[in-house]
Amino acid sequence: MTSVIEESAKSQWADQVPERPWRKKPAKLQAAIVIGALVPLGVVALINATTQISGAILMVVIYFPIQLLSSALAAWFVRGTRGIGDSFIIVTAIGATIFSFVILFSVLGSLIVRGAQALWGEDGFRSSFLFQNNVYINPSTPLDYGGLGHAILGTLVIVAIATIIAVPIGIATAVYITEVRGRAVPYVRFFVQAMSGVPSVVAGLFILTVLIVSGAIQQSAFAGGLAYAILMLPTVARTAEEVLLLIPEDLRTGALALGSTRARVVLRVVIPAAKTGIVTAIILGVARVIGETAPLLLTSLKNDQTILNPFNAPIAALPTYIFDNVALPYPGAVTRAWGAALVLMIIVLILFSLARYLGRDRLNKSR
Amino acid sequence: MSLPPTEVQRDLKSAATTHRGDRIFNRSMTAAAFTSLVVLAGIAVFLGIQAVVALQTQGLAFLFTTQWDINVPAAGIWGMLYGSVLLAVIGLFIAVPASILLSVFIVFLAPRRLARVMTNVIDLMAAIPSIILGLWAFYLLNPVAEEWQFLLNKYLGWIPIFQNDSGNYLGTPFIAGFVLAIMMIPIVTSVSREVLGRTPPDLINAAESLGCSLWTMLRYVAIPYGRGGIIGGVMLGLGRALGETIAVFFVLKLVFETNWYRIIESGGGSVATMIVAKFGEVSGEYELQLLLAAGFFLFLGTLIVNIIANVIVNRTGRLQR
Repeated sequence: MTSVIEESAKSQWADQVPERPWRKKPAKLQAAIVIGALVPLGVVALINATTQISGAILMVVIYFPIQLLSSALAAWFVRGTRGIGDSFIIVTAIGATIFSFVILFSVLGSLIVRGAQALWGEDGFRSSFLFQNNVYINPSTPLDYGGLGHAILGTLVIVAIATIIAVPIGIATAVYITEVRGRAVPYVRFFVQAMSGVPSVVAGLFILTVLIVSGAIQQSAFAGGLAYAILMLPTVARTAEEVLLLIPEDLRTGALALGSTRARVVLRVVIPAAKTGIVTAIILGVARVIGETAPLLLTSLKNDQTILNPFNAPIAALPTYIFDNVALPYPGAVTRAWGAALVLMIIVLILFSLARYLGRDRLNKSR
Repeated sequence: MSLPPTEVQRDLKSAATTHRGDRIFNRSMTAAAFTSLVVLAGIAVFLGIQAVVALQTQGLAFLFTTQWDINVPAAGIWGMLYGSVLLAVIGLFIAVPASILLSVFIVFLAPRRLARVMTNVIDLMAAIPSIILGLWAFYLLNPVAEEWQFLLNKYLGWIPIFQNDSGNYLGTPFIAGFVLAIMMIPIVTSVSREVLGRTPPDLINAAESLGCSLWTMLRYVAIPYGRGGIIGGVMLGLGRALGETIAVFFVLKLVFETNWYRIIESGGGSVATMIVAKFGEVSGEYELQLLLAAGFFLFLGTLIVNIIANVIVNRTGRLQR
């Protein structure tokens, strides 16, 4: 016990593992666990061999309760009534873990299997699917013709517009909180948090009513980018704030002592020092919005052609392309939707792993 | 972790300055920082105007009737408002226990490596765009859920919430709520994992030395200690669920009737989904105004839920640091 107390006095408990004495398992308990795990499996195998109940139902309706019961019995046998609660928590927690794994792998697996049908044909990789647009395509056209090149370009244009608008404002908000430190800091924090809860469809409605219905701009990539910017701003601001807080105070005081102005401290010292973190903030902001569909349905509509002018015409994007193709009663169109979904998911995954990779150093440093 | 400000440091920190360039810099940063306020106020005002129009032309019936016929003065969003809440509640029933168990597993049970893998798995779940989740639910979850709901109705149909007269088990609130649960689990889990992980080891050790088992330790130490944070996380998830549009669009059959409690009966409502669904076939300016008004009430609801959530979570000290 003394060592435990010394340890907790020595270090912050941020990186300290809590003592977990309940994990010391006597041999008797281990034997009971093995028996408690094997018996339900045997029962289920027996039922599976003799009857025709489908797998998932068998696991949830029969295996799970039996497993709960047998673990409880085993724990009661070893540790008395005190063990029953523990066994219940452990079995259900493992159940919840398996549940989340099943969901995630079902989503990713179905994306890969069905999306690959769009991306790979009999002649190998279909680059046409990635690069062509949808102009002469109807839902029953073979998959070898037409693709989502226009949608990828559209997404890029819309996200670029959102980034150009949201990133400077987001970083400025973070700079206000961490560098300017005016009186309104708590309020600004509060509003940024409140803004991060705005539903995406409401952001679309806002742009629709203020700019499109009033006739200021058309339904176009610019309108979609503005709606995306509303969703992106809080993510960028909050992540950038966290990053700027990690910059050591000595850097600022040092630069001030050398005679630089405050603006110069921020622009030449603090922001360059937080460069990777700010890139992470931008990436997370892009990843946050890139799959949003509802605002685009209201602001940028859809288009089968490749549009690069962001102001005068509706434009296609990956999410809206998926949306349009899903519900069509043609297997080809549905396969296109899966292909587009796979491309979108790959983009999101790349963005997230990039943010993880860049953020890794920062996390280690902050320890 | 930065030190608490001493007198000297506070002097250096204060933004007051006589340098002209600095003043311009400070002012422009301040102006940018208030963008979020301007946007929030803009949403409230511009959608609020439409809400006033809707309430003037339709009366309070706009909030409390269910049919959607703009030619007679009885178009309302009650079914949708109630439907949104019903879906969120179904989602919470699945997501809250699952998330708490997941975070217990990550914090107290899993070996370190597995815990790190689980954290990544949860973050990955949060990264799935809702349209992809909708696509998955439409093609993969629907057939499975249909069978499950059929069995639920067959064996537990005597319970009122499991009644189903139509024999159609697709487009039910249950499926939509399940999809919402999948979207809520990562949010709730990441907050409650952090909160549970910060239970002071001394408290855990003390509980253990008093003879607590894992169950009693959780019940009397860890969960009460992290209750505020967990509730805040649940509210954050609730805000997300209320505003979710596209995933629900694919799995819920939108009907302008109030489906009070039959969660495995086909048909339900959701404000956000209704806006997108009706926008495609909007008949004129007046109907668009009604949709914008519906958007205002959606905004109001999610804003309130989110503010409460953030206040609770901040009070536990998570995001402030």
